[in-house]
Amino acid sequence: MTVPLALLGLLEREPSHGYDLKRDYDAYFGRGKPLPFGQVYATLGRLARDGKVLAGSSEPGDGPDRKRYLITDQGVSEVEAWLREPVAPEPHLQTVLFAKVVLALMSGRSAAAYLDLQRAAHLQRMRELTEVKRSGDVVDALLADHGLFHLEADLRWIDLTAARLDALATAVRS
Amino acid sequence: MIALLEARSVVRSFGSTPALRGASVSVRAGEILAVMGPSGSGKSTLLHCLAGILTPDSGEVEFDGRRIDALGEAERSVLRRDRFGFVFQFGQLVPELSAEENIALPLLLGGTRRAAALAEARPWFDRLGLDGLQGRRSGELSGGEAQRVALARGLVTRPEVLFADEPTGSLDSLTGELVMDLLSAAAREQGTTVVLVTHEARVAAYADREVVVRDGTVAALAVDRG
Amino acid sequence: MIRFALRLTLHGGREAVVRLVVTATAITLGVAMVLVTLAGINAVNTQNARYAWLETGAVSAAPPQQSTADGLWWRLTADYVQGDLLGRIDVAAPGPDAPVPPGITRLPGPGEYYASPAMGDLLTSMPAAQLADRYPGRLIGTIGRSALPAPNTLLVLIGHTPAELEHLDGARLVSRISTVVPSSCNANCPDIGVKKNGIDLILFAVVAALLFPMMIFIGSATRLSAARREQRFAAMRLVGATPRQITLISVVESTVGAVLGMAAGFGLFFLVRPAVGTIPFTGAPFFPSDLALSGPDVLTVALGVPAAAAVVARLAVRRVVVSPLGVTRRVTPRPPRAWRLMPLAAGLLELTYYLVNGAPAGTPAQIRAYLPGLVLLMAGLVIAGPWLTMAGARLLVRRTDRAAVLIAGRRLADDPQAGFRAVGGLVLALFVTTLAVGVIDTFTAYRWAATGDPAAAGTVVQDLTTWTGRELKPTATVPDALLTRLRSIPGVDGVTVLHQDPAVAQPMWPAHTRLVLSCDELARTPVLGRCPAGADAVLAAPDLDGRTSQATTVWPALTRTPTEVAALPVQSLVVQTNGSAAPIEEARTTLELAHPSGHFVPTTLGELNAIQMKQTDQYRQLSNVVILVSLPIAACSLAVNVVAGLGDRKKPFSLLRLTGVPLAMLRRVVALESAVPLLAGAVVAIGGGFLGAQLFLGAQLRYVLAPPGFGYYLIVVLGLLASLAIIAATLPLLGRITGPETARNE
Repeated sequence: MTVPLALLGLLEREPSHGYDLKRDYDAYFGRGKPLPFGQVYATLGRLARDGKVLAGSSEPGDGPDRKRYLITDQGVSEVEAWLREPVAPEPHLQTVLFAKVVLALMSGRSAAAYLDLQRAAHLQRMRELTEVKRSGDVVDALLADHGLFHLEADLRWIDLTAARLDALATAVRS
Repeated sequence: MIALLEARSVVRSFGSTPALRGASVSVRAGEILAVMGPSGSGKSTLLHCLAGILTPDSGEVEFDGRRIDALGEAERSVLRRDRFGFVFQFGQLVPELSAEENIALPLLLGGTRRAAALAEARPWFDRLGLDGLQGRRSGELSGGEAQRVALARGLVTRPEVLFADEPTGSLDSLTGELVMDLLSAAAREQGTTVVLVTHEARVAAYADREVVVRDGTVAALAVDRG
Repeated sequence: MIRFALRLTLHGGREAVVRLVVTATAITLGVAMVLVTLAGINAVNTQNARYAWLETGAVSAAPPQQSTADGLWWRLTADYVQGDLLGRIDVAAPGPDAPVPPGITRLPGPGEYYASPAMGDLLTSMPAAQLADRYPGRLIGTIGRSALPAPNTLLVLIGHTPAELEHLDGARLVSRISTVVPSSCNANCPDIGVKKNGIDLILFAVVAALLFPMMIFIGSATRLSAARREQRFAAMRLVGATPRQITLISVVESTVGAVLGMAAGFGLFFLVRPAVGTIPFTGAPFFPSDLALSGPDVLTVALGVPAAAAVVARLAVRRVVVSPLGVTRRVTPRPPRAWRLMPLAAGLLELTYYLVNGAPAGTPAQIRAYLPGLVLLMAGLVIAGPWLTMAGARLLVRRTDRAAVLIAGRRLADDPQAGFRAVGGLVLALFVTTLAVGVIDTFTAYRWAATGDPAAAGTVVQDLTTWTGRELKPTATVPDALLTRLRSIPGVDGVTVLHQDPAVAQPMWPAHTRLVLSCDELARTPVLGRCPAGADAVLAAPDLDGRTSQATTVWPALTRTPTEVAALPVQSLVVQTNGSAAPIEEARTTLELAHPSGHFVPTTLGELNAIQMKQTDQYRQLSNVVILVSLPIAACSLAVNVVAGLGDRKKPFSLLRLTGVPLAMLRRVVALESAVPLLAGAVVAIGGGFLGAQLFLGAQLRYVLAPPGFGYYLIVVLGLLASLAIIAATLPLLGRITGPETARNE
């Protein structure tokens, strides 16, 4: 799960404090494992160094948790590029894809388009695997089948998610 | 590349229910195109319009440069018989005829003498692993065997386009795979263009590209990389 | 292409063959029926032509100025022997150039006579005193076939001298033998043959009554496996068969069945022709060769039947020809509308109109009036049937709790045409049967004489009055020798002379003439009634039309002495016998010899009644034929429909069984689907039949419908039981075809 991009995406909604970001991350993407504060501030620091976020002013003597962070234009385009780029079709993509969908919905973007792009990428991969099955030997075919079934499972999940986008949007924007 | 078969803004309703609301799609010669979409989206209707089985309420369908939506019923029948092939999900074989006669049916309808037509049909039994079933009636074939017979019938006239509507829909995964293997191999071998309607991704994976039918219109999932 | 179509028809598997066979059988029966009807009409005309020469006396009177030298004296009288009509022709040739009737080589001279073959047999088999003595002279030959209306016609052609014949009552001089057939005879024609205004329209109604069940049967056969056929055509259309090719295949299929059926129909016709010939539709049987088909008849049927089948086939594939996806969506057929009741109502209204306004005069007008009403009723029943089925089914469904009734009722309500088609033939047959039996049995009840009483049937009546041109004048007296001779015949119980008394006032109507009878004589002819004790004479009004028996009537006494009675003028003689043939014929012969020139011929009460009932008997014959033919056809129709229906339900019922629905319930559903329309339709048909009969009888004759005889109830109950048995017989089949293997996915 790519934490920097998730935090960037959360920041895109509005400037936030570090602990707000951690709270939201844990709620949507933590899946039972809360993010350590240290990781949060370290990631934010790196992002600021790369120019993707700006650390807001704070009172002297405040710790890093009292800083407010702001996303820069560079950060915004990084988020957009990430959203637009399909995830490589491999296992455990759901978490990443889910993050993308939720963040897209939060920022008012069209999640359906991203899901379509993902579908296309999956199908392309499935085509390649099918070709492998046809031309390869039995072992290759077996492995290809394994991949094909998983890809198919992903696509099923994508279909269901696409059907539930409206409900999901209402949930995350509230 | 030029489109061999093209639908432009096709609209088609059944009574008061609209099935297609301005669907456009282009099929290139020699490619296998998967038409996907949820049930009720109008995929089958799009296939029927492309194949000249239904006439659109408005819009155009062009095959090999000619408008086919403007042709009469008899001419479209001849087109289907001579230049197209069909594989449906079930119920397409004529129960009174044997398997080899079913395969030979388009040739017989076209006036070929019986002996010659059957001679054309026989090699397919070997190619599709149906040896020994020549004389069986359709009721005596298993699902997979019947679909393979239907496939042979679809290809026996060496058509330019093969239309397949959920060809593996009533088959289990393994049999379905077998049918799709044979279908894609035979099509490529003969250079047949294939329009493949399916809701299953693993079947669509046999195609070169896919389009999605949603609410009566056609969308591409990704930017077409030609 | 045609060969391909033939292959589909003939080698298309068991289902296709069954369909072909059933359709061909239906067409066979229909064609045979049509051929019999056509041949019957031809036979009636051919036979009528052979009656023509018997019209000679009525139509060929010689013009006054013609010399008698080349004319012919001619006298035709009716006689009876053993209850059968016997034609007696007395001829006398004034000169050598007299016209010769057909069937003989030369005219019989005085003391010679010719007889028809049947008559010749009787003359040799019966004692002379009973028959041959009536005819002076000897038998010289047989009348040939060209002069015989029927194989069993009794004719005797007797030769006389002109002097013997010319003064006899009814003798005429004719210039030539008549060639005018009875149906064209407009003068004072004898009551023979078939008159114009009867048979054509009656036959038309009979054909209609038979044709409707036949068409329903053929329709049922054609619809066998209709869904599968349509599906198969749709598959072929998708693959690229042109509409014309599909039409061709359908037409070939139907035409093959039609050609087979037609050929077999001709075969069946020739097979039944001899039997049909023996049924006396016109009162006399036909020669087998009479039932001939003319060239146009044969061509019309031979070409028309396959042509009609082709047209029907063309219409049947209309739906698939239009769209190759024709059958993919199963559509509930449109429900029948209420307008379907109109023809039935129209028929009833028409008959009611005549009931209220009175029947038109004259038989042709009457037939023109009633026949449309009756045909409307029949057609109306067939048209209204589906609507009635639907209405009844909906009622049934609304009020039931039971699943079987619900399923059966819904199916009937959704597709009432199919439900009615199965029982339509039977409903129609029952209707026609009820109507015919109602009318005919009522006729019989009103007019039947003492049946089964051999004394009445064996009573010979000889009317002794003569026609003076203005009135019937009684004879002065009867010679005692005649009375003694009659009484001496073994088997004769008694002879009574019926006297007219000028002193007794006569009522206006001759049928109720009051006659004086001697009690002495009456005691031995109890069929005419009884005397009160102690009376010598009575004033009686005996019914000599043979309508009712008066054996128990006690006539009022009259104060007359036997001598006075004996002196009164004589109207007629009544001879009561023990009923056996010998005394009847001997008495008849004796009477004829005593009154050779008499205007009236001695007849028994049974024969008088038969004359009255002749027309009714003809109708009874026709209606028997209709009943006997239409009921089996209707039963076959039912069987075909029930089996076809089972075929349609194979899949859904198998699946139901798998889900735990007991077979008994499915059987109940199938039984209800057929039995309910059958019984409801039977009720409507029987009620409608009686209603129609009452309307007709009331309008035409002011009769009230009499309860039908036992035979009717028997036929109805047997018919219904047989139908229910057919339905029941298919139920075991249900168990077999819905076994678990049918539920396998195709």
